[in-house]
Amino acid sequence: MKLILTGILAGLLATTAARADEMVFTSWGGTTQEAQTKSWAAPFEANSGIKVLQDGPTDYGKLKAMVEGGSVAWDVVDVEMDFAIKAAKDGLLEPIDFNVVPKADLDPRFTTEHAVGSFYYSFVLAWNKGAVSGEPTSWADMFDLTKFPGKRTFYKWSAPGVIEIALLADGVPADKLYPLDLDRAFKKLDTIKSEIVWWDSGAQSQQLIASGEAAFGQLWNGRVFALQQDGADVGASWKQNMTAADVLVIPKGSKNKASAMKFLATATSAKSQAMFAEASGYAPINTAAKAEMPADVVKSLPDAYVDGQINLDMNYWAENRDAIAERWYAWQAK
Amino acid sequence: MSGNLLHRQPILRRPDGVGGALPALTLITLFFVVPVVALLLRSVTEPVPGLQNYAILFGDGTYARVFFNTFLVATVVTAVTVIVAFPVAWMLAIMPPALGSIVFGIIILSMWTNLLTRTYAWMVLLQRTGVINRTLMDIGLISEPLPLINNLTGVTIGMVYIMLPFMILPLVGTLRAIDPMTLRAAALCGASPFNAFRRILLPLSLPGIAAGGLMVFVMSLGYFVTPTLLGGTSNMMLAAMIAQMIQSLLNWGLGSAAAFILLLVTMALYALQLRLVGAKRMTGGI
Repeated sequence: MKLILTGILAGLLATTAARADEMVFTSWGGTTQEAQTKSWAAPFEANSGIKVLQDGPTDYGKLKAMVEGGSVAWDVVDVEMDFAIKAAKDGLLEPIDFNVVPKADLDPRFTTEHAVGSFYYSFVLAWNKGAVSGEPTSWADMFDLTKFPGKRTFYKWSAPGVIEIALLADGVPADKLYPLDLDRAFKKLDTIKSEIVWWDSGAQSQQLIASGEAAFGQLWNGRVFALQQDGADVGASWKQNMTAADVLVIPKGSKNKASAMKFLATATSAKSQAMFAEASGYAPINTAAKAEMPADVVKSLPDAYVDGQINLDMNYWAENRDAIAERWYAWQAK
Repeated sequence: MSGNLLHRQPILRRPDGVGGALPALTLITLFFVVPVVALLLRSVTEPVPGLQNYAILFGDGTYARVFFNTFLVATVVTAVTVIVAFPVAWMLAIMPPALGSIVFGIIILSMWTNLLTRTYAWMVLLQRTGVINRTLMDIGLISEPLPLINNLTGVTIGMVYIMLPFMILPLVGTLRAIDPMTLRAAALCGASPFNAFRRILLPLSLPGIAAGGLMVFVMSLGYFVTPTLLGGTSNMMLAAMIAQMIQSLLNWGLGSAAAFILLLVTMALYALQLRLVGAKRMTGGI
């Protein structure tokens, strides 16, 4: 009974189900998906003759509904890595066929049995130069209401990043972050809670900083890059920047699995990764990609700032995702 | 608008049998009853059979706060909507018809504009660097931006604006049906305008207020877009919490239980309204 009902639900969701010579790629919209379309989907279409339909934004609830209902409309989905690890464990993903997707040059940090890297990014401290007097340089500055009064913006959803920032600001050494001391993190966050404006999409984070609605905040480096490209007067501090990754997955039961694997091969190739990095400001997950990129682009990417860089622990998060999320949302609603 | 017409026309003959209602009933069964039953099933079967999801919802302070928030917002929005809508509805009821239809057009037009667009427009107006705060600061009335967004104020402003038509329309119907002679009679008997309002107009318009008020309250309970965009995380309402449970936590059992509670509360309110006002008077008002 439940299966049938979920099936009906998933059927209703499957508005973009692809034909045999088509497949559906789902990502987060905005400047990121535009870059993915241009750098990955366009060359793939030209070479394979398979049309790539774009859908989005990524919605984990929808993905689960599709897989459980057996009516999977998405063939390749861009997801956060901690979700991918958890979803693979829950049986929601197809294993990657590494006979089709060449593995040799892929950064092993972002490659698993059920996922290949999409791109990786850093959380950086960005500020609107017109709205802040002085230069915030460290995460601790985001918690200093006397030196830097005004609204600050953080990522709204429970995800790797904000908890770590609070702990670093509170003096926890970078190599002692995990396991996360949630009590301590929330206590630190309490001190600035009334001054936090949450952003729930990359576009919103850009809008908040560019308008000065929030003077400074924790942003994805690619979004800051796009703002600066547009000529916005925005500064960025890479001190203790935090890397996390998006990965590409194939939902279990994808109807165009073979095409999807081929798409992954193109998307993770050195050339496509280089093109995407140039367009988005996010780092490539193919180690051979840098050779294909202009030197000034390479210099602007997260892996040019490895000094003091912190790798957010995706395995820890995958393991504790639900428990942290529960506390996170309870704390937010307070 | 149709209040007068409805009252004066003979009631249409009721068709016999349910044959004509079949398409609508099928539609409602397929797309409302079945999913609701599925929802209820999920809430008592995931992750294991039992009532644990409901126990969590009722036993946890966070969820209690979200329930409280939801009712608080719905109550405040309904109260403010009634206060703002009443003068407009009264004006519409006594206006010359030609002018009235223009005002009506403006109100209806606002309903036809995309909800998201209208809510974003409020964001532009209300935010710290928005039009209202900039203007007030430029003319020197305030030195710090007023906190008009990401709080209850923002949610109330945005939602009242969206709910106004749903209050005005039933109210106009009720007000138009009131014989203006009753007010004149009150004045002749020496009642002050305020007394005439309080003792004649207000009691006579109660069915309209109740009908509109219930509609606004129930719609507010389940509202998602506006509170999410104009409120802060501490103003979280039930609908946003359900979305979070379904989309982000993938805890469908808990999300279904919360959705089911919302549905039950809504239906209970409607039943209460039917008892208090009576179905005929209520629908007659609209």
